[in-house]
Amino acid sequence: MRIRHPLLAVVVLSLAVVLVAVGCARKVQEPAREPVILHDWFTDDPGTLDVQQDTTLAVYGLARELFNTLVRYKGETLELEPELLESMPTISADGKVYTFKLKQGILCHDGKTELTSKDVKFTFERMLDPNGKGLSTWLYEPILGAKDMVEGKAAELKGFKIINDYEFEITLEKPYAPFLHNLAVPSASIYPAELCKAAGEEWGRKPVGTGPFKLKEYTPSTSIVLEKNPYYFEKGLPYLDGIEYRIVPDEATGLMEFEKGTFDVTSIPTNEFERITKSGQYTILESTPLNTYYFVFNMKEKPYTDVRVRKAIAMAIDKQKIIDSILGGRATVAKAFVTPGIPGAYPAGQGPAYDYNPAEAKKILEEAGLKKIKAVTWQRGGTQVADTNIAIQAMLKEIGIDLEVQIIDRAAFGEARAQGKVPANYGNWWADIPDPDNYLYTYFHPSQSRYMSTNYDNPRVTALLDEARITTDPARRAQLYQEAEKIIVGDDAAIVPLFHKKDYLAVQKNVKGIIMHPTGVNSYKMVQKEPAPK
Amino acid sequence: MLVYSVRRLLLAIPVLLGISVITFILMNVVPGDPVLNMLGKRADPVVVEKVRAQLGLNDPLYVQFFRFVANAARGDLGESYRFRQPVTRLILTSFPVTVKVSISAMLVAIAIGLTVGIVSAVKQYSVIDHGSMILALSGISAPIFWVALVAQYVFGLRLGILPISGYATWKEMVLPALVLGSRFAASIARLTRSSLLEVIRQDYVRTARAKGLAERVVIFKHALKNALIPVITVVGLQIGGLLTGSILTETIFGIPGLGRLAVTALNNRDFPLLQGTVLFTAFVYIMSNLAVDLSYAYVDPRIRLR
Repeated sequence: MRIRHPLLAVVVLSLAVVLVAVGCARKVQEPAREPVILHDWFTDDPGTLDVQQDTTLAVYGLARELFNTLVRYKGETLELEPELLESMPTISADGKVYTFKLKQGILCHDGKTELTSKDVKFTFERMLDPNGKGLSTWLYEPILGAKDMVEGKAAELKGFKIINDYEFEITLEKPYAPFLHNLAVPSASIYPAELCKAAGEEWGRKPVGTGPFKLKEYTPSTSIVLEKNPYYFEKGLPYLDGIEYRIVPDEATGLMEFEKGTFDVTSIPTNEFERITKSGQYTILESTPLNTYYFVFNMKEKPYTDVRVRKAIAMAIDKQKIIDSILGGRATVAKAFVTPGIPGAYPAGQGPAYDYNPAEAKKILEEAGLKKIKAVTWQRGGTQVADTNIAIQAMLKEIGIDLEVQIIDRAAFGEARAQGKVPANYGNWWADIPDPDNYLYTYFHPSQSRYMSTNYDNPRVTALLDEARITTDPARRAQLYQEAEKIIVGDDAAIVPLFHKKDYLAVQKNVKGIIMHPTGVNSYKMVQKEPAPK
Repeated sequence: MLVYSVRRLLLAIPVLLGISVITFILMNVVPGDPVLNMLGKRADPVVVEKVRAQLGLNDPLYVQFFRFVANAARGDLGESYRFRQPVTRLILTSFPVTVKVSISAMLVAIAIGLTVGIVSAVKQYSVIDHGSMILALSGISAPIFWVALVAQYVFGLRLGILPISGYATWKEMVLPALVLGSRFAASIARLTRSSLLEVIRQDYVRTARAKGLAERVVIFKHALKNALIPVITVVGLQIGGLLTGSILTETIFGIPGLGRLAVTALNNRDFPLLQGTVLFTAFVYIMSNLAVDLSYAYVDPRIRLR
């Protein structure tokens, strides 16, 4: 187009200049958006971000932000859904062969490396490598050839077959119903093979994953800073620009920083619970994680070798009183060892555990002619006897059992427990996966019971647990596990389930979307943070 | 002086060896398997055994000890079980942080302690004297975690004028330096006061006054220099203590220094890290004591080192 009139040309030119100037001015005036960072804190430096080498909840939480697993839990439920997979895997009729298909185009934090079947195989084999330091070999142990790898008899995982870049097949040694749950544990996060190999020993400090956040800076004993992964495969996520975890070893200091507003989220120390929750200044999140607090016996240690003593102890403990007086009501009475809500567990409020009945407990001991019973229990660490142990001690005194509580250093306790030498203890179990197998097999199958110092060995229970492992029908599995638990907790009174503790987080009111999962692993992928009120 | 210094340095070798032996024995006597502690409760027994072999923990104790000593002589203190990093690197990262905190705390302690001590001595039996000595006594008696908690609550949370924890910026350093320094300030104040009182009663000070010198000149030029000798000894020894890490202060304020590193090592049965920090701590202590001894000769020419 040509402009013939010179005046018109001047007007058009002037208009153009004004428009450009206004545009530029707008661009300059537009305030730069402040990055939205969530501030959290740990009491201890994890030491490594390699989730194959650390199984603490802190590292599990970090792994959920940095990496992905093949399958994951849907929101706060126990239902599995695909994460890195296109769809849930298909399972052969005999329950042994699983066929997986990865999503295509999943990029790592470097924006170049695409995740393929080779990376999945590498991740599994890295965990099982006997020269490596993979801690959670149990995740992959049901796979054909996994044991051979752990024992150094094979260099490759026999049960893992790569079909193509995105498809692979896993064959189990024998059917193992909870297998897919194993793949949702953060320790089963998938690592990019080439990047991991290139990082070598530095991987724990400089990991590269596919997760919603990538590592920006790790200052040992000081802080871990993550930033948004621009290549994340779930479009639009995460909402935050980053997360900063500070390491503050002192709980009181951490809580003060939260109250000052430096931190956005905190767990609540028991002695501060009332004050923080009733202040009305924060959002309080509550969850019922998969845990059971218990008093467990060593079946080889006197006087616990006598089932009548165990039953009497089970009836002498007033669980509700412990919950009300020590835990401020922040727990529910346990009627079974397997936490309610887990598929196959007894429903909440039902189960084979004995009710509080001190009169019956006394009667059992009298009828057995047992008098002046002396018993010992160990406490794992601490500088003074825990309140719950004091309460149990006092309750047992009522029925004529003199319980001595011995405080044993944590490391020494761990060593003795693995050797089957802890006489009895008040402890807890936080499930790795929502399956009764994770509780009952670990504590009461003779192949494992020594390591938990129960030394339990009942052939009927062993047969039930073995059968349940290979049974794929959920109804039948539930039946088997409930029968097993009836024998363990009821007939044999090998363990006294006490309570299921609730979990709480205090969160600043401008923060929303934290996922508190029952496995205890929280996720910040969906978190949104509004500017704090001035 | 040079011969003396070299001799003292050579004497440090048997001391460090002795400390290594004691630490090594204690670590192996204390129950708690480091491998089980490292691998956790679900560890496969086969893996536990392999890791134990990899770390050389199946070797006889004397073999493990001599291996440690031989490596330490080359400056290699092994690899931390928990952090999977060379112990030397971890120590060299945390030591400067401890030095920073210690020097800040000591500067605070010297500034407050000397001022209060001198004023108390000069104004003996006055309200200032009584008041500052009561404060000094409280400073020595109050537990450090309590002082820290109160300081954090008042200055950090309520008044909001200082950060509650951290160590990176000068503002974050104020509270740790004040808390750690207050205890030493109290002892420096008490010592300066008593030492100065003793000196100002001596003949040469009386002579100085008789010559008509101003009180300021008498105190600062004549009395203080001699009164400072015992103070320097105490400050020197305390610096040695501070440089080896203040466990409580570092824990409360979240400062990644040497003290916190040692506690982490102990809690995790991280033998190489624990042994490394103990050995390094002993070395720093020996060096700071040597520095104190050498400084005597500088401050008081009557003292000659042979």
